[in-house]
Amino acid sequence: MDSISRIHKEINNNGVFNVFWLIFILMILFLLLIIVGLLTYTDAESMATVLQQPEFHFAIRFTLETSVVATLLAVVFALPSGYILSRYNIPGRAFIDTLLDIPIVLPPLVSGIALLIFFGPLFGEQLERVGISVVFSQLGVVIAQWFIAAPFAIRSFIQAFNSIDQRMERVARTLGFSPVRVFVKVTLPLAKGGLLGGIMMAWARALGEFGATAMLAGITRMKTETLSVAVFLNMSIGDMEFAIATSIVMLIIALLVLVGLKMLARSEVTV
Amino acid sequence: MKSALLEVSGLNVRCGKFRLQDITFSLHKNDYLIIVGPSGAGKTMLLETLVGLRKSDAGQIVLKNEEISIRPPEKRGFGFAYQDSLLYPFLNVRENILFGARAQKRHKEKATLKRLNRLVDYMGIAHLINRFPVSLSGGEKQRVSLARAILINPPVLLLDEPLSALDPQTRDAMRALLCEIHKTEGIGIIHVTHNFDEALQLGNRMIVMNQGRVLQQGEPAEVFDKPDSHWVAQFLQIENIISGKIQKKDGAFWFNNREQDWSLGPLAKQLPAASEHHEVSMVLHSWQIEVLPLQTSAGKANSWNATVEKIVPNSHSIDLTCGGYGSWQVSLSRKEWRKLAVEVGAQVTLSVDPAHIHFI
Repeated sequence: MDSISRIHKEINNNGVFNVFWLIFILMILFLLLIIVGLLTYTDAESMATVLQQPEFHFAIRFTLETSVVATLLAVVFALPSGYILSRYNIPGRAFIDTLLDIPIVLPPLVSGIALLIFFGPLFGEQLERVGISVVFSQLGVVIAQWFIAAPFAIRSFIQAFNSIDQRMERVARTLGFSPVRVFVKVTLPLAKGGLLGGIMMAWARALGEFGATAMLAGITRMKTETLSVAVFLNMSIGDMEFAIATSIVMLIIALLVLVGLKMLARSEVTV
Repeated sequence: MKSALLEVSGLNVRCGKFRLQDITFSLHKNDYLIIVGPSGAGKTMLLETLVGLRKSDAGQIVLKNEEISIRPPEKRGFGFAYQDSLLYPFLNVRENILFGARAQKRHKEKATLKRLNRLVDYMGIAHLINRFPVSLSGGEKQRVSLARAILINPPVLLLDEPLSALDPQTRDAMRALLCEIHKTEGIGIIHVTHNFDEALQLGNRMIVMNQGRVLQQGEPAEVFDKPDSHWVAQFLQIENIISGKIQKKDGAFWFNNREQDWSLGPLAKQLPAASEHHEVSMVLHSWQIEVLPLQTSAGKANSWNATVEKIVPNSHSIDLTCGGYGSWQVSLSRKEWRKLAVEVGAQVTLSVDPAHIHFI
């Protein structure tokens, strides 16, 4: 009651800000309607039919597998990169920062073309000779997802390491821990919240990746068909029900990721 | 003489433009060494170098007859606590205290657990053992931090302003606890502080630092009574620093503040030889000057008349500014003040025991 009367007062007192309030409310309503619209456009029966189709089963399994592998790979690269960028004064810092931001800023389609050139004309043959085939393969999906997700993981890992009071680590040294054990016993637990947040962000990116995947791995039904690819393929052939059902599943996954992130943020323990 | 527990000699450390230069001191078993100095004097840097968190460029650190200058922190065995307790939020109090023992994989040994119990008992934190740091008060956190530092039986405990983040009541209790830890554990303590009361109450040795150098060391009371430079006297907030000359007259030494044609003496015979006829500064704490009701016999040796110019009441004392042959800061207990009962503008007689006078 109190907060509502406060909002009333705000609206009355600040004439100039009434427009702000209006735009703000419209924005929230729009977001709600978008989600409700998607959820209500289909009915439970057709939803159930789609969810039983082998194509859907393939897409969801394939997406979960590739995105988890891509996220793990991203973590493998982000942990040392994030730590080094957080703790060391390295020459060419601005250049490296820009480089790391490229996959974030670049349209995924362009990233995909760059990857395609790298794994195709540039090094494709050599990799092929050692039995690694990336272009238009399932491995390509993982690589594309990893490429898009890793910078997000690195960015949030840098944040996570930056937020640690390094004197905590120093105290551990004086208590008898070697630098490696300090990293495992102190740094990682202290950064845990931020690291998990970064992992979820990276996973969410990998999960919904489309542009780079399409370029590098192609959009082949039941081969490189992730959930995003499935939505695109079925929209293009006019199977709205499949596309919408798949979209709803993706929306639910996104909501779950968000809830997970919020819970992580809340459980962060302060010193 | 017994060999020192910790011997630091010629220590030089560089960090950007700042340098610790030629730090030399020793710490014996049961010594409580206080380090004071303004912010940026290099006190924390010195502690971090001793524990091995910073590399020294030159000099030696010898702990229990072993040269440790190039050992990593985990092989030096100092106990170390920063100003803020820096407890690990993901561990409870018990795990925090046992953290050092865990490094040596001794956290499950009976002897360790016995020591833990004894420590938390006398440090008054036994009831907190299963709590997490987030639920502790500042004083409680600092106790846990101290317990964590001393559980592993360090021969020397280094404390970086351990009491400065605490409120006055908690600080008093922590001071008493530090005293107790020092006695009970029989360890050497090096304690960096800005608080001179801490220096006098806890320390038996004291170092004054500025700009990366040791300016003076000795027993705290001695350093306070006999600072050996103008800077140290000012830093220690000694209220009366009067410049003048020492002159010999009738076979005795007199201090002469020439401009005001005022002299004090005869002074003790043990004056620095070089001081005669040279410009010196006389150093007098405000409590070393006695204030008496105006005396007709004023003008006799070591006393002179002055006018009360300002009266500042404090919680435990009354500070007076008196003018007469210079400006004098005098401090009286409330009891003395009540006896004296004077107001601004009143004439009083100031008097000094020549034995208190120190020259630099």
